[in-house]
Amino acid sequence: MERPMPSGAPSVATASLFVVASQLAGAVFLYLVLKAEGGWQVIGLLALLGAGFFLLEKKPRIADLAMASMARVPLLAVAMAAVVVLAFPFAVGSNTYMLHLLIVAQLYAVLALALNFQLGSANIPNFATGASYGIGAYVSALLAINFGVSFWLTLPVAALAATLFGFLIGIPSMRTRDTYLALVTIAFGVVVQQLLNNFDFTGGPNGLVGIPAPSLFGHSFADPLVIFGHKLPSQANFYYLAAALVAVAIVTARRLHGSRIGLAWNALRADEIAARAQGINVAWYKVLAFAVDAFLAAFAGTIYAFYVSYISPDNFTFLVSVTIMTMVIVGGMDNIFGVIVGAFLLTILPEKLRAFSDYRLLFFGIVIIGFLMIRPQGLFPQRMRDYGSHS
Amino acid sequence: MRAGGTLLMRPLQPEIWRMAELLIQQMLNWITLGCIYALLAIGFSLIFGILNVIHFSHGDVAMTAPFICLALATFFGATSPYWLVLALVLAILAVGLLGVVLDRVVIRQFRDAPAMMALVATVALGIVIREAIRHLYPEGSNPHAFPRLVSGVAFEVAGVPVNWFSVLVTVLTVALIGLLFVFLRMTPLGLRIRAASEDRVVARMMGIRDGRVFRATFFIASAIGAVAGLLFASYAGVTRFDFGIMAGLLGFSAAVIGGLGSMPGAILGGLIIAGIEVLAQTFVPDGASYRLVFVFLLVIAVLIFRPAGLLGRPVMEKV
Repeated sequence: MERPMPSGAPSVATASLFVVASQLAGAVFLYLVLKAEGGWQVIGLLALLGAGFFLLEKKPRIADLAMASMARVPLLAVAMAAVVVLAFPFAVGSNTYMLHLLIVAQLYAVLALALNFQLGSANIPNFATGASYGIGAYVSALLAINFGVSFWLTLPVAALAATLFGFLIGIPSMRTRDTYLALVTIAFGVVVQQLLNNFDFTGGPNGLVGIPAPSLFGHSFADPLVIFGHKLPSQANFYYLAAALVAVAIVTARRLHGSRIGLAWNALRADEIAARAQGINVAWYKVLAFAVDAFLAAFAGTIYAFYVSYISPDNFTFLVSVTIMTMVIVGGMDNIFGVIVGAFLLTILPEKLRAFSDYRLLFFGIVIIGFLMIRPQGLFPQRMRDYGSHS
Repeated sequence: MRAGGTLLMRPLQPEIWRMAELLIQQMLNWITLGCIYALLAIGFSLIFGILNVIHFSHGDVAMTAPFICLALATFFGATSPYWLVLALVLAILAVGLLGVVLDRVVIRQFRDAPAMMALVATVALGIVIREAIRHLYPEGSNPHAFPRLVSGVAFEVAGVPVNWFSVLVTVLTVALIGLLFVFLRMTPLGLRIRAASEDRVVARMMGIRDGRVFRATFFIASAIGAVAGLLFASYAGVTRFDFGIMAGLLGFSAAVIGGLGSMPGAILGGLIIAGIEVLAQTFVPDGASYRLVFVFLLVIAVLIFRPAGLLGRPVMEKV
């Protein structure tokens, strides 16, 4: 393997061109996938995607160029991404189904990013992300239904409640590891789901109905969104809300990854005892990983609850946790971009393969096993930490 | 505490009898369920003890047995009990083979991978098995009635009837555990299995063909699981494609709280899990719907205080 020349950083023009072109290409591809109907179109697009990955694999220079370009013109990259995300609903127009898929995909992206702190960064198994997601959804929904609390106030309260839960699951992680810890998180997940299913005040198996739509500055999220005289369906409100949450999650993930906390998590993953020997407070960082996961998952849960306005325990089962885990594994552990791609792919593809909608879980299972066998590092493997040695 | 004399007074006696009957009844229930869980847990423990791999889909593998048995029974047009017995035996053997095949195709790839990988892969394998039953078996999404293997009352204990079924489960469990013990302790293959579980590499150097050891282990574990699956379906009276997930979770929990890799631990774990379930159902109002909550809270509590399980050896950690 030849190492790319660090000195060969692209010029500003090349970098800008690359950033704009690649983001537009990504957006167009996403649009086509969303628009695609019938098996053949989807399979054709998948083949295109596969070819793209093959190319990336054969020519690591492309990935390096991408990273270098982003680093060269970071502001342009962010601005371009913002423009693409903001403009997307206008391209989609009145197709509410496409918007719905995008919202769900974005929420899953947040959940996958949340889980990535543990599974990816610290290699701690957690099968309870679905439970944190559910706690967020239920706490906010109960507050809104019973006490008429506004959506914006329920967000922090739900996050706080879920974070406490995260600390709670984190406590056994101080003593248990690997398989045993996995069982503890599974147990927590089952307990939460069973309690939601049995308590009266959570509506039992029927769940909670009639969660009021949030409103901002007098604009109800149930109403169509009008921007510059252009009318977007009401889903667009939640699309932008979810997009904002994804942005928050990405910033959080990047900041944490770059901080001593992220470094400590990576040290835990490499070797727990060695990390302890280096003076890293192993127990604290493990618990922290659980808490951060729960915190972000609760945000996603709150938005989900207010978006669909109906939640039931079935939305937060063990299988949801497994699905989130799949997204992280398929996308690439500890790679923020990869995790988001994984979440989008695994949300949209099963929906698109309508013909196989019954076989969705089967598809999921086979995808996970296949990935773990053939490409355990995921679509976008983790990149080496860059300590700025060549700048 | 009230004095014993008052309790034994005549007017209270029927009350006590009823309590006693209830207790005996629930004890029987506990033993039956505990045996089934113990059989499931043994499979988890056996596979973990030898491969150091968690076969999370073991419960799903086990719960394919009732479906295979039903399919065979329909195929034979089962008229006499002999055919049913044949179907049962064939189902057990088929599930044993299924275990071997799954090891060969999937689990083998994760033998030396991080524990997380194997865990997630086998969770996914469980999903695949469940969904395969659902789609391949005729009307697989619906519950299918499964007959009581034996019916009728065997004898009475203090006025409480003991079903032949409970007797069958208990005898079968004790016999299987006894056989497994004899097999592992007194046969050449059992010796090789134990050697491989001590140290795979050294066992290989001593001329033990580890492939054969793994095949044997998976066959035995899956076949024992199949027995548990058949008994469970028979106990419940129905079988469903998604029973595997609960069977897997409960069996795995039993193995873990007993201490993975320890046979007595698996049995103890099975009895404890079943005990909590029965206690919750008997003494807690609306306990039946909260039974899983109690079970998993206990699992969490045990793992906090004994991270390697009750009878597990504490793990030596090395860099």
